[in-house]
Amino acid sequence: MDERKDEAGLVRRGFFGLSAVGAAAGAGLGLMAPAGATAQTLGKSRLQMIKERGRLLVGTGSTNPPWHFEDANGQLQGMDIDLARLLAKNLFDDPTKVEFVLQGSDARIPSLITDKVDIVVQWMTVTAGRAQQVEFTIPYYREGVSLLLLARGGKYKSFDELKSAGNTVTIGGMQNVFLEEWVRKALPQAKVDAFESPDATLQALNARRVDAYLADQSAARWLMQQTPGRFIDSGYGWMPNSYASAVKPGDPVWLNWVNTVYKEAMMGVDFDYFAASYKKWFGIELPTPKVGFPTEFA
Amino acid sequence: MIQYYFDWSVIWRNADRFAYALGLGLSLAVISLFIGSVIGIACAMARVYGARWLSWPVWLYVEFIRNTPLLLLVFFVYFGLPELDISYLDKTQSFILTLSLYAGAYMTEVFRAGLASIPKSYTEAAKAIGLRPWQRQRYVVLPVMFRITLPAFSNNLISLFKDTSLAAAIAIPELTFVARQINANTFRVMESWLAASALYLVTCYVIASALRRLERRYAAIR
Repeated sequence: MDERKDEAGLVRRGFFGLSAVGAAAGAGLGLMAPAGATAQTLGKSRLQMIKERGRLLVGTGSTNPPWHFEDANGQLQGMDIDLARLLAKNLFDDPTKVEFVLQGSDARIPSLITDKVDIVVQWMTVTAGRAQQVEFTIPYYREGVSLLLLARGGKYKSFDELKSAGNTVTIGGMQNVFLEEWVRKALPQAKVDAFESPDATLQALNARRVDAYLADQSAARWLMQQTPGRFIDSGYGWMPNSYASAVKPGDPVWLNWVNTVYKEAMMGVDFDYFAASYKKWFGIELPTPKVGFPTEFA
Repeated sequence: MIQYYFDWSVIWRNADRFAYALGLGLSLAVISLFIGSVIGIACAMARVYGARWLSWPVWLYVEFIRNTPLLLLVFFVYFGLPELDISYLDKTQSFILTLSLYAGAYMTEVFRAGLASIPKSYTEAAKAIGLRPWQRQRYVVLPVMFRITLPAFSNNLISLFKDTSLAAAIAIPELTFVARQINANTFRVMESWLAASALYLVTCYVIASALRRLERRYAAIR
């Protein structure tokens, strides 16, 4: 039954794919793709290919705690890694049947387009521009920026105190394009000190050289989780953006399957797994989803 | 060869920041050299004329500074001292303190060598015409020493100016910091670093040639 549906899908998508390739003839890259690989991805869902291959290829990074980074023994760990293992667990009943393809952030889209990986689980921010090149799964985290303060010995204890202190406040952060713009959005008068690395910024906070550290909200949580009692969050977060996984466009079966796993991780059968992982990396206990209703009523 | 299209407009747009950064770096170097020279004279005197209890700590100071990377000293003063509840200095003052102590150690050695190379006959002649000890220093020894050490002095100024690039690590907006920032903002990697390099090069060359003229006028003991 399933197979017949896929046959039909092949025909329809095959035509669609052909015309798309024809339209892209001038672009060159589309023509370079080997015809065999194209037929294969169009003909059979990636879901089946992965089942046959016996392992999942996941594109991710290794240098960004708490998302994807190495522990003391060089083993990958983090929230992204846990999600990838959850996919493998649901595919093969074995969370270890996943092969991580380590890549930089700039390789996330190309590696999907060129079939190097089945899925990217690498703190990927959803943007409308990227959504024209890849297909996003449902988001699993809403990232933003927040201000990390010293729990003891700092001058300020909350966002309101920072705000009312006006231009006497110095905010530290990683040197990047948006640093000043982001700080100004929340604290228009604050001074900004830019540092070369996150650890230098953190040390500037420890040494009270800056009053607060503008960090990714997840990184701030991770730091608080790592050194309990040392830092506090100012209580205000802004610059929202969604983290999701991405897959190569044109395979609704595979995309839908991943979405199902993610949705049920956050709200359904795998909630315990998701909540444990969440607790481990962010130090926060997720409330159990309300039961006894359709999700629309919860 | 990789194709790279230069776009220098990013440098012109940020010309004012570069100018400010250059001025800041030069001020840091000059102020530190001045303070360092005062430290240097005092320490050189202590080493040459002082008793053991005085010259020994100076030796320790000089060797400690000379054998420690400057960046570590900068980090220690900026990040380390506040942890010991010493946080009176802001980032610029911290850097000036560090660079002054650093310059002081080098100037101690320069002045010590200068003092050692003053011919004995000079001080003996000064003694013979009845100058008191402090007068001998003030009118004979120090003026001669400054002339002897002038070339080393200008070398130190140039190397201190280049060392101010380390201030970027503690968020002081000098030349390296500005170049890095423009780099981060616009990804015009080549332009920003080439502009910074050119400014370092030209400034150092101008300092060097100006001081060389000064040396030609004053340095020789005839």
